[in-house]
Amino acid sequence: MSENNGGGKSDIIVLSKVGKSFWRGKERLDVLKELDLTMKEGSFEALMGPSGSGKSTLLNLIAGLDVPTSGSLKVAGSELSHMTEGDRAGFRAANIGFVFQTYNLMPVLTAVENVELPLLLTKLPAAERRKRAEVALKVVGLEGRMGHYPRQLSGGQEQRVTIARAIVTDPKIIVADEPTGDLDRESANDILNLLGKLNKEFNKTIVMVTHDPAAAERATVCHRLDKGALAL
Amino acid sequence: MTLTSIAARNIGRNKLRTGLTVAVVAIATLFFIMLRTVVWSWSSAEEFAKKDRIATRHKISFVMQLPKRYAEEIAQMPGVSAVSYNTWFGGKDPKDEKDFFATIATDPPGLLKVYSEIKAPEDQKQAWLADRRGALIGDALAKRKHWKVGDKITLAGSIYPGNWDFNVSGIYTTTTTNVDRSTVWFHWDYMNESLPERRKDMVGWIVTNINDASASGSISKAVDAKFDDRDLQTVTMSEAALSHSFLGMFATILKAINVVSIVMIAIMGLIVGNTIAMGVRERTNEYGVLRAIGFLPKHIAQFVLGEAVVIGVVGGGVGLVLGYPFVNYGVGRFIEENMGQYFPQFRVQPELAAFAFGLAVLLALVAAILPARQAANLQVVDSLRRVG
Repeated sequence: MSENNGGGKSDIIVLSKVGKSFWRGKERLDVLKELDLTMKEGSFEALMGPSGSGKSTLLNLIAGLDVPTSGSLKVAGSELSHMTEGDRAGFRAANIGFVFQTYNLMPVLTAVENVELPLLLTKLPAAERRKRAEVALKVVGLEGRMGHYPRQLSGGQEQRVTIARAIVTDPKIIVADEPTGDLDRESANDILNLLGKLNKEFNKTIVMVTHDPAAAERATVCHRLDKGALAL
Repeated sequence: MTLTSIAARNIGRNKLRTGLTVAVVAIATLFFIMLRTVVWSWSSAEEFAKKDRIATRHKISFVMQLPKRYAEEIAQMPGVSAVSYNTWFGGKDPKDEKDFFATIATDPPGLLKVYSEIKAPEDQKQAWLADRRGALIGDALAKRKHWKVGDKITLAGSIYPGNWDFNVSGIYTTTTTNVDRSTVWFHWDYMNESLPERRKDMVGWIVTNINDASASGSISKAVDAKFDDRDLQTVTMSEAALSHSFLGMFATILKAINVVSIVMIAIMGLIVGNTIAMGVRERTNEYGVLRAIGFLPKHIAQFVLGEAVVIGVVGGGVGLVLGYPFVNYGVGRFIEENMGQYFPQFRVQPELAAFAFGLAVLLALVAAILPARQAANLQVVDSLRRVG
């Protein structure tokens, strides 16, 4: 994992007049409207807003899970607007780490196997994959739980495993969708501290959707969305 | 850890459902093996039949009889080495009428010449030839009925009514599987002398040994030609063909068995497909996460198909492990001993075992194609939307 060397802060996420529309029957829903937004490498940014404001849609676009209807979206040097699904899958594997609200670990795999999962897409030998997964679990403080299955872990521990899975490929960007939404305050603080550590010590750019003001306070920048546009 | 090993572990998530599905595959494989063995055994009877033995019956139907003198005339024809005549007696054990076994009135000296595969101690053979009430009994039947040489037995006639007493003169075994070991052979004369005048001197079919197996076709034609201008015409055929004609109804059943085996396997495929589809539905969110972290649709398809293959391999394997001894050492032995004439070798053929196993795996794979396509084509965002 590359540590923060304190270098210059270049733009890692650039949205220019990004629009995203969905169709519900014959009705067109403009979820994002000509959005202009820039995020710096190594920043920790929160996206807040009421339900339906477009924050999750924006997160999906930044993560390369979806493509904008209009405008330009550049993430980690790649223009995502016109990428094929296959290319975006490769982009995500190389550049994005995901942290979900409900953890989404595979119940049949142990903690270390869950963390190793994204490395199956690489050409690394099995021993190296396992070694990297173990390192990632040490980073999140779960070196003692490597052989545990998700059902044997607490919610906070499961979310740590998710974070380890997100960082094991050493991505530039971590997207977190309500990472503390299912946790008690103490566990939530632990997770936020961990995300802060990844941001500060490992220079990971973190984009986090949250409803929790306490979580948003940890971010260096907080964007508020309302009806598909950035609120001033 | 590989995608395939994860797929294999995935099927253990719902042990009851997986267990039941594997059981379905195993049972379907077992029955497929058994049913196909019935068909194979029947079809291969010709292969095991004696090539130098032909049989003559009434041209219209097996149940219609021929004059006994036809046998004497056939014996005089060139190329013929021995002749025997037989009549289906239809006797039953009065103590157990549901227990089926063949009872055939025959010409004992002719039978022992024509069926050289029938083996019995010489003294027992001589005793049988000398005793008009003597019966030569297959060893499988003797064992089943606890009959032994010297016993007096009574059979109830169904075609020839009344109680018929016999002396067990000998117990025979066979050197090949194409003669069954559960038949009661007895003197045709004994039966004939008890019949009313109008039914006398008739036989059910005539079995002929020929000197040159390659001449069976021409001799058969010559036999039929000989009786072509008589009141009762004949049809002469190979021994295997005679068996087939004798069990003509059974041939229709075999066709039905063929269809049933295919339908059963198709149902198995649908059940596996349903199980896989349920698993896919339950794991939609996981597939969404996998897609999010960079896995491609082909990887998701590999997961789903991998699970199906594991079910097919385990189910097919269990079916084989159960089916092989069940057929070869259970039902197969019984059928060979009791119906060897029609099913001379009732064993699982290695090719059939491999085919059944391959079919179980292939059908499980085919059944999973649709769920796999559905899983692979899931939109990542839609899949993740279902999370939580």
